[in-house]
Amino acid sequence: MTLASRPAAMSARRSRAAAFQFLPDAAKLHRLSALATLFLLILGFALASPAFFSVNNGLTILLQTSVIGLLGIGMTMVIITGGIDLSVGSVLALSGVASGMAIKAGVPVGPGMAFGVAVGAACGALNGLIVTRMRIPPFVATLGMMLMARGLALQLTGAAPISQLGEAFGRLGNGALFRIVEMRPNGFPKVIFPGIPYPAIVLLIVAIAAAYLLRRRQIGRHIYATGSNEEAARLSGVRTDRAKLYAYAMSGALAGLAGIVLMSRLVTAQPSEGVMYELDAIAAAVIGGASLSGGVGTVPGTMIGAFIIGILRNGLNMAGVSAFIQQIVIGAVVIAAVWIDHIRNRP
Amino acid sequence: MTRPLVELIDIEKHFGGIRAVDRVSLDLWPGEVVGVLGHNGAGKSCLMRILSGAMTPSAGEIRVNGSPASFSSPNDARAAGIETIYQTLALADHLDAAANLFLGRELKTRFGNLDDARMLAEARTVLARLNPNFKNLRDPVSSLSGGQRQVIAIARAIYFDTKILIMDEPTAALGPSETAMVADLIRQLRDEGIGIFLVSHDMHDVFELCDRVVVMNKGRLVGAHAIHEVSKDDVLSLIVKGELPADWSARNLMAEAAQ
Ligand SMILES: Nc1ncnc2c1ncn2[C@@H]1O[C@H](COP(=O)(O)OP(=O)(O)OP(=O)(O)O)[C@@H](O)[C@H]1O
Ligand SMILES: [Mg+2]
Repeated sequence: MTLASRPAAMSARRSRAAAFQFLPDAAKLHRLSALATLFLLILGFALASPAFFSVNNGLTILLQTSVIGLLGIGMTMVIITGGIDLSVGSVLALSGVASGMAIKAGVPVGPGMAFGVAVGAACGALNGLIVTRMRIPPFVATLGMMLMARGLALQLTGAAPISQLGEAFGRLGNGALFRIVEMRPNGFPKVIFPGIPYPAIVLLIVAIAAAYLLRRRQIGRHIYATGSNEEAARLSGVRTDRAKLYAYAMSGALAGLAGIVLMSRLVTAQPSEGVMYELDAIAAAVIGGASLSGGVGTVPGTMIGAFIIGILRNGLNMAGVSAFIQQIVIGAVVIAAVWIDHIRNRP
Repeated sequence: MTRPLVELIDIEKHFGGIRAVDRVSLDLWPGEVVGVLGHNGAGKSCLMRILSGAMTPSAGEIRVNGSPASFSSPNDARAAGIETIYQTLALADHLDAAANLFLGRELKTRFGNLDDARMLAEARTVLARLNPNFKNLRDPVSSLSGGQRQVIAIARAIYFDTKILIMDEPTAALGPSETAMVADLIRQLRDEGIGIFLVSHDMHDVFELCDRVVVMNKGRLVGAHAIHEVSKDDVLSLIVKGELPADWSARNLMAEAAQ
């Protein structure tokens, strides 16, 4: 190569490198395909049922998705560490019940809800301690917590829902920001603008905070490193136990928050709520690109996954598909998502 | 007279019935390169991992600058200035070169956020010193070549304020020019007064770089010699049989006698 041709070759190489930046890597490709799936689902359901594409149904989907999304974000953190949290559905119920009982006992609504989230965080922290201190595999540890939290919720309430929690308790789940309601002359209110539901706002804030935590903070990097290669992370000076504990506690706290949102929506604390929600959360994370072998996963991906699950459930409902068939479909989707993860990880 | 940087005294490590390290005593002085040799499974990596805080000894004592030290985690050893290039490299596969280089010691901005830009710039500088062709710094290290991965592990050990450097087969995956680069690096670090343990199977490298060799055999230390006392055959005999040839006498003394 002559000297004169060298700069040309170098700039060619540089532009090729730039071109590669635009080509999506495997993770981006996965997210793009998930996004495409999401749009196909919306399109399909919209064609199948005209009511699907209404404002009201949009709000319903947003509410359903916010619960799955909150659980999914916590689940993503745990999955990135290479673990799994099967207890989120039960912790959701226990947190809601704890909050309901506190409010019944006279605690104001705000602190009562905070107490529920704290109970969730405590359950998560206990999961983390069992996994890191007792060296119990996450699958078994959180399966145990799933039974214990559910049992406690049922025992505390005698399996009966706690109702009449007051209008203030229902505001988080049913209220909306910027809602414009006009009083008609005939005395009935008319909703001019439905507003943005509070649960959707909660989800957005949590998603942004979690993404920031995972991408920009040291603890986030350590969570990825722990799941990527735990021994290497430990040798590099990462306190892997702390990273795991953090992830499980976050998952528990977010399950608690999801429980508060859900129970507030129902204005009732239901001890039997949230059964099998862990599967929706795992599916959301895995569809969004999280890998069950650890080290991989993003919050935006999980958000897409949560919307896919939320829309799938809602669309099947709208199309009049029975709850039993829905179970079969969601089960198949979970297996398919994990299978895709498996294929992706094959060298 | 200066003190040894580090002293290992009667170190033992048992795994059930196996004695991976059996009453080994060893020291390291500033500006000295000590080759640690031995057959596969002789206990070299175990001994080095004990010194780097990655493994707790079953018995024995570690002294750093004359005062007793106990390392319950790699961070403790790092705080004492002991850096390690592990035989397994200890890289997190999904993270890129810069994230691995600073793993556990991330650079942060004023607000406590990760300072990825600065880490990338620093990584670029230190990696270029070892391998000028290292360009794909943003790729996850799982997609890098074995030699590139090894360069990251080496860079990580020399970037920080190091007093004692443990290199467990640092050139196993390197090409000839990179190996030469690491040899230069070792000499340079030695001249800066850093003490280096070099675990290697490459007799040529050891005789090229080391001031002393120690040989392990089945967990025991079977020989510790200044490099000019022994020949390659002597060391080979120590590695294989655990003892020097029957008719051995110090190589340099023989040479003097012959003159
Ligand atoms: N975590 C462990 N659990 C049980 N035994 C172990 C463990 N680590 C090492 N050993 C045993 O200790 C002995 C020494 O191993 P070590 O890794 O120190 O050998 P080495 O000298 O570094 O060998 P090589 O040249 O192959 O790297 C071996 O017999 C090995 O099987
Ligand atoms: Mg070894």
